[in-house]
Amino acid sequence: MKSMTLEDVRRVLEAEVIVGKDLLHRRVKMGCGSDLMSDVLAFIKPASLLLTGLTNQQTVRTAEMQDIVAICFVRGKKPTDETVKLAQLKNIPLLATRFRMFEACGRLYTEGLPGDYEATESG
Amino acid sequence: MNRDEKITKIQELVYEMKVQEVMRRKVITVGPTTQMSELREILRVNRISGAPVVEGDALVGIISLEDFIKWLANREDDCPIGAKMTRDVKTLYADEPLVTAVNKLEQLGYGRFPVIDRETNELVGIITAGLVIEGLLRKLEIDYSEEEIHRYRASHIFEDILADRTKLLFEYDVVGQDFERAGESASGLKTTLRRLGIDPRIVRRVAIATYEAEMNVVVYTPGGKISCEIDPEKIVVDVRDSGPGIPDVEKAMQPGYSTAPEWVRELGFGAGMGLNNIQKCADEMVLTSDVGSGTHLKVCIFTEQGRGS
Amino acid sequence: MKLSEIVDRLDLSVRSGKEKLGEDVTGGYASDLLSDVIANSNEGDIWITLQIHQNIVAVASMNKLAGIVLVNGREPEEGTLEAAEQEAMPIMVTDMPTFEVVGKLYELGISGTR
Repeated sequence: MKSMTLEDVRRVLEAEVIVGKDLLHRRVKMGCGSDLMSDVLAFIKPASLLLTGLTNQQTVRTAEMQDIVAICFVRGKKPTDETVKLAQLKNIPLLATRFRMFEACGRLYTEGLPGDYEATESG
Repeated sequence: MNRDEKITKIQELVYEMKVQEVMRRKVITVGPTTQMSELREILRVNRISGAPVVEGDALVGIISLEDFIKWLANREDDCPIGAKMTRDVKTLYADEPLVTAVNKLEQLGYGRFPVIDRETNELVGIITAGLVIEGLLRKLEIDYSEEEIHRYRASHIFEDILADRTKLLFEYDVVGQDFERAGESASGLKTTLRRLGIDPRIVRRVAIATYEAEMNVVVYTPGGKISCEIDPEKIVVDVRDSGPGIPDVEKAMQPGYSTAPEWVRELGFGAGMGLNNIQKCADEMVLTSDVGSGTHLKVCIFTEQGRGS
Repeated sequence: MKLSEIVDRLDLSVRSGKEKLGEDVTGGYASDLLSDVIANSNEGDIWITLQIHQNIVAVASMNKLAGIVLVNGREPEEGTLEAAEQEAMPIMVTDMPTFEVVGKLYELGISGTR
């Protein structure tokens, strides 16, 4: 199963690193794109990268609860100050890409990052 | 951390960390036409012992203090750096693991390596043995301070307490309608359980169930209380609110059923998945509700020990 | 690429709008926020979402989207299906999550930048 570092994610998505510039060596095993935290809470696996268009603090809370490696905001959305503060406190890297959700997921997938369905199916 | 642990930690880090994490990004370079006589001043002022030689954007060589001393010792005439530099430059890619740098430094005996971006082929930094050590120490310190936080974790609390039955109780107050602060209780509980040394998989289930329950209290009620009772066998989370109550509990349990207002949906919640998700995380779940007086949710999750017995 | 070809390649189950499967898909949009889809999706996009309530049909018709794919094994609500049949809006379902559906579409050449 292929995994990527956050540095790879940053490169592929031409993303800005908002929190966690020193944490880019962390590895993500799979990707998950969702704007519904309820779904993320129900489905996402640990060691995932969360791609979302939501930027409120609850994205970080969700990441914290689910042991998500990092959050990447799509569509050029920037997190609120409170979200940034909470992410710093919880040591959760935040990235931001100008790509839309579709493009961001597509690029990561073609670079070899699986989704949680395949990653789980193949064990 | 004891000594052995520290050594493995360093070995781990050399594989984990990348050249770009320790390299110096600000690189002092010289041109091939710069005179050797000027080199000493450049090295002295910048307090470096060598520099990559760059022509335009291209890396064409590298010149070191050793080269300079050799030139000085031979009492040769002044000449451009280009004539004395090493042309066959050994470089490293920015995304290579630190271990490659360590090996090259050792095997080739060079003091420094220019660092190149794999895609653009541009010079992006320089790495020396000193920078590697500095980077590792910095990283160890960060990891150590993270470790420090966990040092007072009471992993052995249940073994240390002598009693026939031991229970720990934590209580959290939840403020209704305060979306910003929603999740603070679940967060506090999660951190606490981790410090107690409880299996991370169990902690995760408790945290998710508590977070979902807390979110419900915040969205639908004026407030409530979360209490968590822990004994060696199980963790019981008890959530009580003074909200309007749920008229039809069975219906509320259906996946996708939701009475959430639009503002909650736009914030990424209220998709009618919360109660199902709580059930998914729980070993036992009891939900009772009286319209007009509030809702009571009890979630039980067994620990390894509790599952075994 | 025709919608019917996408249905085949991704093994999607069609729940409504079968008569429109011959239409062309010219791009893709993934989002669970209706306001975002209204503002940013384009005509001919295939829309990937978790949302199942009937507003999705109204949004998709308004922006003349090619079809809607519901992910994570979600099924459209009854009202959603009725509206979709009325508007002849193809709705397809899959067990895959958004990330993979999009990944596979992207590999088929469907792009998200327009």
